[in-house]
Amino acid sequence: MQTSLYPSSSSDVSAKQMKHHCDHQADCLKMIQLIIDGEATAQQLERLTVNLETCRPCIEMYHLEKEIKQLMQDRMEKKCCPDQLIATIQAKISSVN
Amino acid sequence: MPEIMPDTPARGYTDEQKYRIFNTEFMPHIDSMYNFAFRLTMDEDDANDLVQDTYLKAFRFISSFEQGTNAKAWLFRILKNSFINDYRKKSKEPAKVDYQDVETTYNSEDAEAEHTVDLRAESVSDLIGDEVANALNSLPVDFRTVIILCDIEGFTYEEMAKILDIPIGTVRSRLHRARNLLKEKLRDYAASMGYNEESED
Repeated sequence: MQTSLYPSSSSDVSAKQMKHHCDHQADCLKMIQLIIDGEATAQQLERLTVNLETCRPCIEMYHLEKEIKQLMQDRMEKKCCPDQLIATIQAKISSVN
Repeated sequence: MPEIMPDTPARGYTDEQKYRIFNTEFMPHIDSMYNFAFRLTMDEDDANDLVQDTYLKAFRFISSFEQGTNAKAWLFRILKNSFINDYRKKSKEPAKVDYQDVETTYNSEDAEAEHTVDLRAESVSDLIGDEVANALNSLPVDFRTVIILCDIEGFTYEEMAKILDIPIGTVRSRLHRARNLLKEKLRDYAASMGYNEESED
C-alpha cells in the first residue's frame, strides 16, 4: 500500500495542519492523473507534493487512482497471441512476393 | 488505399529488409496487439481476424514505416483503424457507440458527480481480475480504448493522440471521463461484495 508520496500514516501529520475538505477537488484529480501517468509538469508535481502532505481528499484520490491503475496492470488477464495465428501470418507473409 | 501514417515518405526497402523489419520490429508486439484486439472486440475469433488483417496490412504498407521508429504505436494505429472500419459495424455491441453521444450524455449529468466517485482504494484492492475486466468491458469502446492504451499498454498521451487521431487535450479529457466511469463500475462491484464505505468509518 505504501507509496513514496503517500504519508506513512495520518497520525504523522498533526490534525490541525491536515485539510479535510478540498475546494479544488476536480482540478486536483486531473492533476493527480497527469502525475500518475507521468505526464505532469515539474510545477504540477511540486503542487501535488504539497497537497499530499496537507490535504486529506487529495491523499485519498491519489491513493485510489494509483490503485486502479495498478489493478489494470496486474489483475487483467493478458491474452497472448495463439501460436497458430503467428504461423498463419508468417505463412501469408512469405507467400506475398 | 487506407491511410496508415501520413507525412511519412515511402521507403525503398529490399525484400530482405522488409522481412527483417517485419520479424524484428513488428512481430515482438504481437501479444500486445492480440490483447488489444481482444479487449476491443471481446471475442477471440474477431481478435484473430483483426490481428491477422493488421499484420498483413503492416507488411503491405511497410514502406511507409520508418525503420527504428515507434513500431508499436504504428501497429496499434493500424489495428485501431481496421477495428473502426471493418469490425465495429458488425460487432455485437448494442448499436454503434458514438463518442460524441456518450460525451454529451455524460456531460449533461450531474457535473459534480463527475469528479467525486465515492470510492476508496481499500474497496477496490480486493477485486479479482474478472471483476476488473467486466467493469472495463462495460465501458463504451472509446473510453475502454484509452484506458487500455494508457494503463495496460503504457503509451504516453502523445502516442495515444497519434494512434487515435485526436489532440492530446482530448486524450486527457477522454481518459479522465473514462476513469470516472470505470470508478463508478468498480464501486458497484465493490459494493456488491460488501466493501462499502460506511463499514470503514
